[in-house]
Amino acid sequence: MRALIGELFKAGRRPAVWVCVLGLLAAVVTIGYALPWIAETYSPPSSAQGLPSGTTLADFKVTLYPINFVRQTLQQWAVLGGVFALILGVLLQGSEYGWGTVKTMYTQRDGRLVMLAGKVGALAVVVLVLVLGVFAVAAASSTAAALLDGKSLDFPGVAETIKGIGALFLIYGFWSLFGLTLATLFRQSAMAIGLGLAYALVVEGLIFGFGGGLLGDWVKKIQEWFPIANTGYLADSFGAIRLRGLPAQAAPYADATHAVAVLATYVAAFLVISALILRRRDVTA
Amino acid sequence: MASATPQPIVSTRGLTKHYGNGIVAVDGLNLNVRRGEVYGFLGPNGAGKTTTLRMLVGLIKPTSGSAIVAGAVPGSPASLAKVGAIIEAPAFYPYLSGYDNLRLIAMLCGVPVKRVDVALDEVELTPRKQHRFSTYSLGMKQRLGIAAALIKEPDMLILDEPTNGLDPQGMVDVRNLIVELGRGERTVLVSSHLLGEVEQMCTRIGVIQKGKFVAEGTIDELRGAATLTVRAEPAATAASVLSGEAGTQNVQVLPDGSFSVKVDLKRTAEINRRLVQAGADVTELRATERSLEDVFMELTGTEAGL
Repeated sequence: MRALIGELFKAGRRPAVWVCVLGLLAAVVTIGYALPWIAETYSPPSSAQGLPSGTTLADFKVTLYPINFVRQTLQQWAVLGGVFALILGVLLQGSEYGWGTVKTMYTQRDGRLVMLAGKVGALAVVVLVLVLGVFAVAAASSTAAALLDGKSLDFPGVAETIKGIGALFLIYGFWSLFGLTLATLFRQSAMAIGLGLAYALVVEGLIFGFGGGLLGDWVKKIQEWFPIANTGYLADSFGAIRLRGLPAQAAPYADATHAVAVLATYVAAFLVISALILRRRDVTA
Repeated sequence: MASATPQPIVSTRGLTKHYGNGIVAVDGLNLNVRRGEVYGFLGPNGAGKTTTLRMLVGLIKPTSGSAIVAGAVPGSPASLAKVGAIIEAPAFYPYLSGYDNLRLIAMLCGVPVKRVDVALDEVELTPRKQHRFSTYSLGMKQRLGIAAALIKEPDMLILDEPTNGLDPQGMVDVRNLIVELGRGERTVLVSSHLLGEVEQMCTRIGVIQKGKFVAEGTIDELRGAATLTVRAEPAATAASVLSGEAGTQNVQVLPDGSFSVKVDLKRTAEINRRLVQAGADVTELRATERSLEDVFMELTGTEAGL
């Protein structure tokens, strides 16, 4: 408990943590709602080129309304927001090596594993704040979009909203622990953020993008055990948003149970790897 | 019957640390620090001091050997609860104030936050306590490190080269603080490569060189007994008298023809009288005391970091 309180104290007073949290919330408002609403409201008729006959960009605005805010949030922010969670995980652990404070922390009272538990607990709280913030901002933005367009203010049910929060918490939990583990492994922030971002934005997508094109369907059998694919399955399990004139999306390759099990396994694996590294490795910095 | 020697608060047996690249940083160290003393851990740069201290607080695991610190295994909660340490440069969170850094340490140690002000007072940092750590001078950082080590009111302080990087006034301040902290029952284990510093602060010294202990004792014990330097003619008569008075094994002929005699210096006048009575002309008779620097250079084969 001492370690958790201490880690929360550090995280709460650290400007970089708030920059990350507020940065994502600002992105949700601007990239997730404001810019699409402007583009879909004021688009010229020529912008409908390539869409089925009778479908216009304004039809896409249904994604911005409250009834879809849970699905929209998960599908749009699972990976992009995950990058922010990854950076939070890296910052909370990697900076301890950069500042040399790892030796200060490990020479106070509790053992290394207790200190790790405190840090993971604090990271969970920060990620929960991030997830709740994303949902709150998305709900407020979707309300604004509906009010501006005179549309319904119906929201999804409480159960779906809570499930959505839980799903995004698991997804961001995966990303943040991925960051924490990379920072523990490399004992620094720069390398951890670089490699984490490379994986999030390039590696898995490229491997399975090319592999799927060249080697056929069995690649999906492998991909279903990789994390980004499973964040997609989990987000898609909330159902696709139907757009007028466009065909329905295919059902996700794996269901939510599979996705939750795989992501939870990654989370557990990262915890074990971090604990083993911290327990065994000498602190020489 | 109680022993005259206080119980050790640090006791190591064959403590050894090898690194993967074949470097033996610490080699079979048997260190005993007694309760209540200010123990100087002396050695040239790279001798293995910091590696030893890191092992004593559990930051590094020994390759072999064992250690008990404050009655428990180094790095265990039981040991850490009684030990305050600064290993190399004090490290704190740059975005937090000095006060908040200590508040954090108090939280982690489970001590009341009111201890923070007491510790800040002890190191005279109260006027700057609300300033960010990143704005502190080296001396202030060092003092904050000492305050952090003191916050849990430990039985023992481990300070690794606490005056490194300080200006002369800062060095004096920190030394005086350490002497002050070492008064009473608290044990202080302080490492240094600076002889003068150790001489001023410590009651007992251990000297380490290339990972091995080469000497341990009080400063007087390490210096050894003072000797008497005698120059007299004829040399044969002088040698005969001196051997008779101090024993042949305690008389050494120096390259310049004078004699170095290991003898109780209270007998100086008596020896002078005997030489004169034997017909020797005494031209020089003086006490010679080895400096700690001489001892250090003899033991380590390096120049003292003075």
